[in-house]
Amino acid sequence: MSWIAIALKNILRRPIRSILTVAGVAIAVAMLFNLLEFQRGYEKGLRSELSDLGAHIMIVPRGCPYEAATIVLHGGKWPRYMEEDWYSVVRGTDGIESSTGIIMDAIIRDGGRENLIYMGIDDDYPELRPSWKYERGGWFDEPASAILGASVARSMGVSAGDTITIHDEPRVPATQMKVAGVLERTNSQDDGLIFLPQHTLQKVFGLEGKLVVILVKLSDVSRTDEVVSSLRQASMEADAGMNVFPLSELLNTLTSLLSSTRVFVLAIVVVAFVIGGVGVLTTILMAVFERTREIGMMKAMGAARVDVFRLVWLETLFTTIGGGLAGVLLALLSGRGVVALLRLVLPHTPADFAMGMSGSTFGICIGVSVVLGVIAGTWPAWRAASISPITAIRGGSS
Amino acid sequence: MKQNGQIVYAQNLAKSYAVGKREIEALRGIDFTISPGEFVVLLGPSGAGKTTTLNLVGGLDRPTSGALSVAGQMVAEGELHATERSLDALRREQVGFVFSEFHLLPTLTAVENVQVPLVWVDESGRDRAEALLCRVGLGHRLTHRPDELSGGEMQRVALARALINEPALLLADEPTANLDTSTRDEIFELLRELSNEGLAILFATHDHELAERGDTVLRLSDGVILDG
Repeated sequence: MSWIAIALKNILRRPIRSILTVAGVAIAVAMLFNLLEFQRGYEKGLRSELSDLGAHIMIVPRGCPYEAATIVLHGGKWPRYMEEDWYSVVRGTDGIESSTGIIMDAIIRDGGRENLIYMGIDDDYPELRPSWKYERGGWFDEPASAILGASVARSMGVSAGDTITIHDEPRVPATQMKVAGVLERTNSQDDGLIFLPQHTLQKVFGLEGKLVVILVKLSDVSRTDEVVSSLRQASMEADAGMNVFPLSELLNTLTSLLSSTRVFVLAIVVVAFVIGGVGVLTTILMAVFERTREIGMMKAMGAARVDVFRLVWLETLFTTIGGGLAGVLLALLSGRGVVALLRLVLPHTPADFAMGMSGSTFGICIGVSVVLGVIAGTWPAWRAASISPITAIRGGSS
Repeated sequence: MKQNGQIVYAQNLAKSYAVGKREIEALRGIDFTISPGEFVVLLGPSGAGKTTTLNLVGGLDRPTSGALSVAGQMVAEGELHATERSLDALRREQVGFVFSEFHLLPTLTAVENVQVPLVWVDESGRDRAEALLCRVGLGHRLTHRPDELSGGEMQRVALARALINEPALLLADEPTANLDTSTRDEIFELLRELSNEGLAILFATHDHELAERGDTVLRLSDGVILDG
């Protein structure tokens, strides 16, 4: 026999009550786990997404820059354009290693079931995508050609050398494009895009001389502020009305936009822990009252106050740690559902946003469970330790 | 304090309780001693002071006045009282208890119940617990839970539990009160055997027939020993 065995058997004495108590802690821990993993997964996904862009500065037309950024990151249609002439101003700015202008449009059919996103790119674009590899074919070999991301090529059932037709009458007349290349899977937004030569897309979609975004890669990242200032100054002088912002700022802004939501969710998590803790305290205290005679007998057999305190505390800790482990399991099982829900309610979620399990999150959840057990167990343990053996044994029959 | 090798030395031992504004004198200055291997019966009706005497000797309660030592350890002497910690140690190492109620832990098996007192000293003692259960005639009931045992069997488990720490003194508070006559006799004979092997026993009962079988009978009435 050991302390652990006695404590565990005491917990299992009232299995339904113990399960409900553990469930209360598990729900609170699952919420905490999801909150922490959401924060970690979101920032990681966003960083990865921005890194995939291969640029340091983003220039978009006037309007909400974060809405524009979301469109640029995931692809889509944004009815604001800048003049293509602005691109030459950008290219002439000191400190820029490379840049590329992008035009985008989308054809949405069947109420959103079919969503084809077209991105018009120029010869500078591959410099921002050094990791691109072709599964079949290669770069545009004629103006009426296209490069397909891996996912879209699979869903359309086409490969290099085949022909696709772009049509969205009356806005876009039927136009045939030869598939010049199919990209290997990148696990980024590129997998779902159809790339066209920039001028081809402008012509097909009636957007001649327009661009949606200019991505800029710097030769020296430490000069970001300086280059951003130069570009803003140039935009002001030309009255171009451009939004120029570093991608690091975009990351900070998007993550800080979520911080208020996080505080709110954290408040709910705290309330859940308080409820779970009160549940544990009540359960253990009830168990102490029910076992008053047993505890009295233990003292008659030589158990000191500290022994009884230790036993009840152990029972509380096992309950909350059990709740912590169950909560982590619950969070892992519900992770996909939570991500799907967040995608519905959040204005922007990174394409590869996922909730996994990090060692630190696991450690924090179990650590909080232990602290909860220590706090919730103190009073019941003290009550048990203070039981008078004479009064307890006189209390009734066994 | 004189002890002369006695396990229990009590002199002018008194205990009173305040019940509301009234002072109840449960013990009014009793004297007795118990030697190793002596079987002392504390005989008296309910309210005579038997349980109070056992509680004082077992260190569960403190006397109001008088001197008391158990197994060479001072429990009380005048104004001086042993600390709670030393009384815990006394019960853990020198004293075993059996009550009329068995107070077994319902989730534990017979052998696990016997092992419980060893948990406080971080020992397992599984072999010793099994041997003790065999000794009290429960070798075939080691893994049975209390709800699978008869009253007599539960009292035997309680007795084995009281003996697991190899105490010098066994305090038995009407341990046969809830048993039928034949089981009562079996338990009593078991205690007699233990006494013959050197265990000092203080056995409280209101049963005159059992009392006659002890080495010494202390007749308690209203907190005083009538004869010794």
